[in-house]
Amino acid sequence: MEPNALVDYVKSLDCIHCGLCLRTCPTYQLTGVESSSPRGRIYLMRAVAENKLEASDPHYREELDYCLVCRHCESVCPAGVRFGEMMETARAGAAKAAPRGALERFARWVGFQVVLPSRFWLSLSISALRFAQRTGLLRLAAKFAGARKEALLSMPAAPPASERRSLPERTPARGAQRGEVALLEGCVMPELFGRVNRASAAVLADIGYACRTARGHVCCGALHAHNGELEGARELARTTIASYERLGDAPIVVNSAGCGAHMKAYGTLLEDDPAWRERAKRFSKRVVDFSEFVAANAPADWRPHAAPGLGKLTYDDPCHLCHGQQIRSQPRELLARVSGAERVELANAESCCGSAGIYSLLRPGDSQAVFEPKARAFAASGADTLVTANPGCHLQWESGLARLGVKARVVHIAEVLAPSDPDSARANVR
Amino acid sequence: MTPGVDAALLAQLRAVTGEAGLISDPTRLLSYECDGLALLQQRPACVVLPRTTDECARAVALLHRAGVPIVGRGAGTGLSGGATPVEGGAIVGLARMREILALDVENRTARVQAGLVNVDLSFAAEQHGLFYAPDPSSQHACTIGGNIGENSGGPHCFKYGSTNRHVLGLTIVRHDGSVLDLSRVQLDPLGYDLLGLFVGSEGMFGIATEIVVQLMPIQPVVETVLAIFKDLDGACDSVSDVIAAGHEPVALEILDRLTIEAVEASIFAAGYPKDAEAVLLIECEGSEAEVASSLDEILAVVRRRGAIDVRRARNAHERKKLWAGRKGAFGAMGRIAPDLYVADVVVPRTKLRELVLGTTRIAHERGLKLSNVFHAGDGNLHPNISYDRRNPDEVRRVLEAGDEIMELVVKAGGSLTGEHGVGLEKQAAMTQVFDEPSLRTMCAVRDAWDPQRRMNPGKLIPVHACREMRGALRPKA
Repeated sequence: MEPNALVDYVKSLDCIHCGLCLRTCPTYQLTGVESSSPRGRIYLMRAVAENKLEASDPHYREELDYCLVCRHCESVCPAGVRFGEMMETARAGAAKAAPRGALERFARWVGFQVVLPSRFWLSLSISALRFAQRTGLLRLAAKFAGARKEALLSMPAAPPASERRSLPERTPARGAQRGEVALLEGCVMPELFGRVNRASAAVLADIGYACRTARGHVCCGALHAHNGELEGARELARTTIASYERLGDAPIVVNSAGCGAHMKAYGTLLEDDPAWRERAKRFSKRVVDFSEFVAANAPADWRPHAAPGLGKLTYDDPCHLCHGQQIRSQPRELLARVSGAERVELANAESCCGSAGIYSLLRPGDSQAVFEPKARAFAASGADTLVTANPGCHLQWESGLARLGVKARVVHIAEVLAPSDPDSARANVR
Repeated sequence: MTPGVDAALLAQLRAVTGEAGLISDPTRLLSYECDGLALLQQRPACVVLPRTTDECARAVALLHRAGVPIVGRGAGTGLSGGATPVEGGAIVGLARMREILALDVENRTARVQAGLVNVDLSFAAEQHGLFYAPDPSSQHACTIGGNIGENSGGPHCFKYGSTNRHVLGLTIVRHDGSVLDLSRVQLDPLGYDLLGLFVGSEGMFGIATEIVVQLMPIQPVVETVLAIFKDLDGACDSVSDVIAAGHEPVALEILDRLTIEAVEASIFAAGYPKDAEAVLLIECEGSEAEVASSLDEILAVVRRRGAIDVRRARNAHERKKLWAGRKGAFGAMGRIAPDLYVADVVVPRTKLRELVLGTTRIAHERGLKLSNVFHAGDGNLHPNISYDRRNPDEVRRVLEAGDEIMELVVKAGGSLTGEHGVGLEKQAAMTQVFDEPSLRTMCAVRDAWDPQRRMNPGKLIPVHACREMRGALRPKA
């Protein structure tokens, strides 16, 4: 196979081997091994392109799989290397060069092609998970799962069916309407974090924006792209674009950092597709992160009240918000507006928590090793509540702190900003 | 050289450092082929990553017995090839040794493991009002141990001096795995100054594993100013004048137009005006009165020399931004071409202007793109040549230009390296600066530390002078 098709050679030439990325890389921090750093991985990618290394090489594949694609390196790279995009191409290339085993292929097919894009299968899976968790079936299964035991036991607690309902097609603004937006409901968000979606809609309503959802739309394809399933990612991007075009040209508010970063990059993903290139670029321009939108559009005198029981807050930057979208100040500004909430800074808030999409399920041991320094930083901060803005990080913090026996609440920033009971607030404005 | 890295030795090394501390597969070894000087590459047979002085000593002893050449390596950010491996040899990497072992606030010292990243020491000291002065532009990545090897500098070394002025004690693993404890802090060296010899020895005298350094108090007032020029000459002349007038700013840095363009296109964009031919970054510190008076006088000089605008950083954030631009300059050049050759010559400060011109001419004659970013206060020039290592003819011209730049500077009374070390890159040029007796003396000192010459062999000392290949001064068996 043409080696240049296996990695993004042109982008790899931007790297001048200065090494400024090393200190930010979670896997280099853990190992001190240079091939487990961004600079080292790029060096290996270049070697593939220059025919010095096979893309099917097991050590090469392991270094690609070990990466969390947190993109912290991009935030310190003076040459502007687009490492996240390079990783997506390299992962897809490695899978082409040496197809995965039959079982793994089947599992990935089920996950990426069947479950993620389908509300029916997602819903069924989460119901099954809840059943297994409630009945103890999961604990039993874990006993026979060998190496996957930890992964099974650290699965997020599936909420009851009453929590797992979708948003209405339209949530009106509270009081005078100042505008209208579309809100991405997402794939796992309605299943695991229905309350976050409702809180998001309530905040938008509270600042005067009506909010619509794209009926029938499920998955944006971010997890596919990050894991090198580029064809699946492109297909879902097209579906997503078409779904939101039906809602006019209102801003698309996204409360999941990973999805937002990916949807802002649709223009690049569909660069080589002439039929969709322009539509993708137009779409990407509409995408706006939840905090980004609220900070820019809330009335100057908007002062949300702190929900009771949150105590002292600290904010942890999701990687795909701070490194992927360069959004750092807005969430902090918003939290500073909350009356009655004390806020402290978290040390190394911009370093990865180890969630990294499905990484925590695929590599639970590595994921926990990356999380440990985060837990120590949280303990040192003296905060009672950890605020995040991404479902993966949310789950990672919840399960990670629980495993270490740290008593704390983990909430999405929308939950802090929302009127005290988003569900009742929604009922009020209906 | 007899590379003796075999399965039995690997197993013994693994027993010392654990599975995670040994790399011997060809794929991962690829990423150790070169350091920041990507031009020269050699493949090591293994990389050993100890966690303690003891592990390091045991690993080195094993390698010594097997006759394997050893190259010490921190973060591999050096620019002279000091950490380029020896084909078939071993790398002893310090990347897993990055603890701060003690921070003595009262005595303003710190004891650290050699793999600690430079900036992490200053971050830890900051809350006590202290900082570690040597600040190479790569300080967010490079290690204190690597800084010792190359006697690294940095913008603030104009006032504070290079690494050798800040090292108070060392624990050294010698070539045979024995441990030399020079960590007892002595303010005036008693007997031969072994510490002084070791700093800047480019990994050829042993591997420093623990380091005692002095910390400096953060000054009450720090002012950073950006002076903007329509021509590079004016910036150079300003520096000569400022120093001649007896002022002592902490740092004086010049960036030329091409560098400004690259930096402004990067995430480290510092607000340097893109239409300027050069900017001069000036930093003063001290008491409020000191800073105010010296800055006024410096700015007067700068304006006289043609600065069209002068911008003061209004707060710590703006100051940080001005410096981030300067320190990201090397990496930012990746936007101009895939590779960058960073020369590191020192020139008499009165000749800044003519030598900057001379280096530019040398590059242009060969059709090469040269940019300038330099520690002007120290006369430490970094003529940067952008190139593409896939083009062999361009590589040849780059090396040629590098040699001629060194020749030009030496003739003008300057020196080969300000802070990057000699390594592989400037080795041949050493004969321009040192005569045979000097080089022989260096060889003799080296033999006293490492009689078999297996620590970072083939670096620093020019081969024909030391006759390593010819065997006239054959190393002791």
